Amino acid sequence: MTPNSRFNIIYILPFLALGACQKVVHLDLKTTSPELDIQGDITNMAGPYTVSLTQSVDFYADNVYPTVSGAIVKVTDSTAGVTDSLTESAPGIYSTHLLQGVPGHTYSMYVNSGGNIYTASSTMPQPVTLDSITFTTVPRSGGKNTIQPIPNFQDPAGIANYYQFVLYVNGNQLQKTFVFDDEFSDGRYIHEALETDTADVKSGNTLQLDLYCIDKPIYNYFNEIVQITDPNSQSQNAAPANPDSNITGGALGYFSAHTVSAKTILVP
Amino acid sequence: MQSSRNLTLLLFLLSPVASIAQAKSRHTVAGTVKDKSTGETLIGASVVLLERPGNGSVTNAYGFYSITAPAGEYRLVISFSSYRTDTVAITLDKDIALPIALTAGKELQEVVVSAGKRNSNITQSLMGVQKLSTNEIKNVPVLFGEKDILKTIQLLPGIQSAGDGNSGFFVRGGSADQNLILLDEATVYNPSHLLGFFSTFNSDAIKDVTVYKGGMPAQYGGRLSSVLDVKMNDGNDQKYGVSGGLGLIASHINVEGPIVKNRGSFDISARRTYADLFLKLSKDTTIKHSTLYFYDINAKADYSLGDNDKVYFSGYLGQDKLGVQDQFGINWGNSTATLRWNHIFSNRLFSNTSLIYSNYEYNIGVSSNNDNVTIASRIVDGHFKEDFQYYAGPSSKLDFGIDVIHHTLSPGVINSSESSSFNSLDLQKKYSLESAAYISHEWSPSPNWNFTYGLRLTVFNVLGPGDFYTYNQVGEAVDTAAYRSGQIVKTFVKPEPRFSTSYQLNSVSSLKLAYSRNVQNLHLLSNSTSSNPTDLWIPSSNNVLPEIADQVSLGYYRNFHNNGYEFSSEVYYKNLQNQIDYKNGAQLIANENVESQLLFGSGRAYGLELYLKKKYGKLTGWVSYTLSRSELKIPGINNDTYFPSRQDEPQNISIVGMYKAGKKWTLSATWVYNTGYPVSWPSGKYDVNGQPVYLYTQRNDYRMPAYHRLDLGATVLAKKTAKFESSWTFSVYNAYDRQNAYTITFRQSKTNPDQTEAVRTTLFGIIPSVTYNFKF
Repeated sequence: MTPNSRFNIIYILPFLALGACQKVVHLDLKTTSPELDIQGDITNMAGPYTVSLTQSVDFYADNVYPTVSGAIVKVTDSTAGVTDSLTESAPGIYSTHLLQGVPGHTYSMYVNSGGNIYTASSTMPQPVTLDSITFTTVPRSGGKNTIQPIPNFQDPAGIANYYQFVLYVNGNQLQKTFVFDDEFSDGRYIHEALETDTADVKSGNTLQLDLYCIDKPIYNYFNEIVQITDPNSQSQNAAPANPDSNITGGALGYFSAHTVSAKTILVP
Repeated sequence: MQSSRNLTLLLFLLSPVASIAQAKSRHTVAGTVKDKSTGETLIGASVVLLERPGNGSVTNAYGFYSITAPAGEYRLVISFSSYRTDTVAITLDKDIALPIALTAGKELQEVVVSAGKRNSNITQSLMGVQKLSTNEIKNVPVLFGEKDILKTIQLLPGIQSAGDGNSGFFVRGGSADQNLILLDEATVYNPSHLLGFFSTFNSDAIKDVTVYKGGMPAQYGGRLSSVLDVKMNDGNDQKYGVSGGLGLIASHINVEGPIVKNRGSFDISARRTYADLFLKLSKDTTIKHSTLYFYDINAKADYSLGDNDKVYFSGYLGQDKLGVQDQFGINWGNSTATLRWNHIFSNRLFSNTSLIYSNYEYNIGVSSNNDNVTIASRIVDGHFKEDFQYYAGPSSKLDFGIDVIHHTLSPGVINSSESSSFNSLDLQKKYSLESAAYISHEWSPSPNWNFTYGLRLTVFNVLGPGDFYTYNQVGEAVDTAAYRSGQIVKTFVKPEPRFSTSYQLNSVSSLKLAYSRNVQNLHLLSNSTSSNPTDLWIPSSNNVLPEIADQVSLGYYRNFHNNGYEFSSEVYYKNLQNQIDYKNGAQLIANENVESQLLFGSGRAYGLELYLKKKYGKLTGWVSYTLSRSELKIPGINNDTYFPSRQDEPQNISIVGMYKAGKKWTLSATWVYNTGYPVSWPSGKYDVNGQPVYLYTQRNDYRMPAYHRLDLGATVLAKKTAKFESSWTFSVYNAYDRQNAYTITFRQSKTNPDQTEAVRTTLFGIIPSVTYNFKF
């Protein structure tokens, strides 16, 4: 989220003012053979940690992703020299037993599914504490005002920090991705609003905001996810493509070792 | 005696030879062609000796012509569209200065003198050139009733629109930054207002528009695909005049007149939209307090210091402002100034010296939530040009000159307040020198053959001060070299040969062939679908090589019905090197290491252009059809194979008609069609943290739906007296309300959260408009 991401909204304004219209259309999209999607998270909170294996589906299919069972999944703490063999605790979900996430440690993942090998590596950054959550009201055309949450935290100076924010509204995870990096903000006190929509956060909701510190490859991955899923970014993106995953072997998804600092608040 | 008689006989035999030799001495008639009532110089007027039809001249950018012929009695025929052809009898026994003044008016249907160059499209050797007359610009209906040169040229073959809400255009498959846009010789970096709805050219102020698509003459260079050369009106040097128009969205006014009668004139045009006044009517508070306007001013003045010297000053200033309440604001604009001096050394040597200043900048202000950030970026050019035209002989003309531009590109200066989340940042400026020397020979060895060939030599110097980085495969800087001010970091020397020839099969048809090489050293970085005012220009450097294009074209031209119909067909093939593409997730904004985000590859474009134009009569207009492909090959994308580029629109059709119904009404209609441009769409989806993420397979493996649109216009003369003229123009944009797709995006279904859907956004439905035009 840089100063420029605001601009995307601005370009829409004159169009809306002039009466641009939107309509759902059905496209003749190809179908694809399912691809493996691996998502692994190691955090500095108490374990167990999970790696999920699912498959992709066609665009017009329901958002129900087939799980993949029977894979061999291992996570190694390279710094401590500990390997954990994960076991399938639920269909497609593989859980750790003894691993504890420690900031500064490097973790690597090994997956053997259907005879194919996939590996990934991620280093957990040092934690940054989320101080508080405040709110701002952003005027939008149509008379609606959008309430947007603001995470407040201090960016450590002198090192490159990458952040990810996850929101839970009334206990449900908001299906949007938010990332931020300190390239233009090194050492500053950060108070940038997360760009939620009008329907996302409402007065009276219970809001939980998790601040993750992530490593650079994961930041790039999720930043590219924003570019292909956020409607404003999509309309400006000339060449959407699959995000560069940090998993080798040709799987979709990611393997992220990150810290978590969370706060909960009632939306005024 | 025998020997003396032989001598007498020899002298007798030789004397006619001697007298013939004396009669073969040549003289030159030269001068400037102007409009009789306004003094406006006429560009591209044809001046021909009736008795020597192959021996003619076309007036240059300042209305100057020069014809050399053996001594004798001739009739000089001068013609130009929308003017009465003039014939002047001359006795060419010495060099003559002959200024010409043409009277505006309708061409007579039967042209008595068939040598009049109504068939100049057949005879001139240049190909891939399109000219637009101001009449054509005035009568073609466009968006909101605003005449727009950039939109009108997109109706010509080989020139495609970049889409709704975008004033960029693609020429023969090239991208929007490959077009050099000149306003009285000054480069215009961003020719669009309001994010592309309007262009920066106020047609009130414009005299001549020429587009070179291929076979570019050696005088032009700097961009790969085209040159759009726009010349401003000089102004009426005899009497004052005011004209203008009041429209729904914008109004414009033009004031012109003499500085000293018959010696100097001025022309000032101004234009402003007031779309924001409509916004204030909105009940919606966000829209009510938003700003949305642009204005521009064109000014020109000229003065003759004598018979052989004339000075000109041209200036342009334009600004756009867009803002949402006081939270966010962006303004941007071009400003240019040109000072020129024409000097006529002799009847055969014409010179023009120009000093040009060009500036483009944008400023952004964000003020929300304790965040006060301003971002400023600009490009400044200082430019010196010297052009000579030497009319060497009856069928030989030499153009030569030099061209030096100093570029200063300032990618961004970011200033933020103490409490802001963002640091202040000053991205380093980039300095470069773009120089060229050219020579070009236009030569007609026989009446049917015409050659224009030449060489342009470009030297590009990357200059300090600054730090210059070298990157590894992953985009990390592995080496930094520091340079002092004025130090040369890198030099690129590139020759650009140019060649074109035409062979006249007969007086109504010809064949043409051309080859040209073009080099481009300034590159516009933009990985977004529409052109934004914040797109970044970068110069060639140690990491970015100059782009090179080689183009070959072949054409057949035929006029029908006594030159009343013009038909042309051209095929072309273009090979492009060092084309720029972007890494996945490329960060182009405020990035000191932006060069690490780029990928380089090659491109190719080829096509067939057909064009039929009806020039005279009550019904005039044209049909243009382009069948073409434009492809890119970038390492790492689509398995290193050629894929269609954004500019690939295989079929492109434009039909334009103007009908003069009676004395008062002029009707016009335009229909355009193009195949949808290539896009990358998902073929599947998968889960990331509970969110559906779209799965892409190939780049540009789908196409947008086809685009087509009908525009109608009608102008009715309301009042016409000797002193005052007024008219009303009614227009309908997108008359059958075609919902053309501006973007197609993907999201979770609003009705069924378990599904994903595609959403089409249309920018313009049917839009009627009315304008009141006046003229004193």
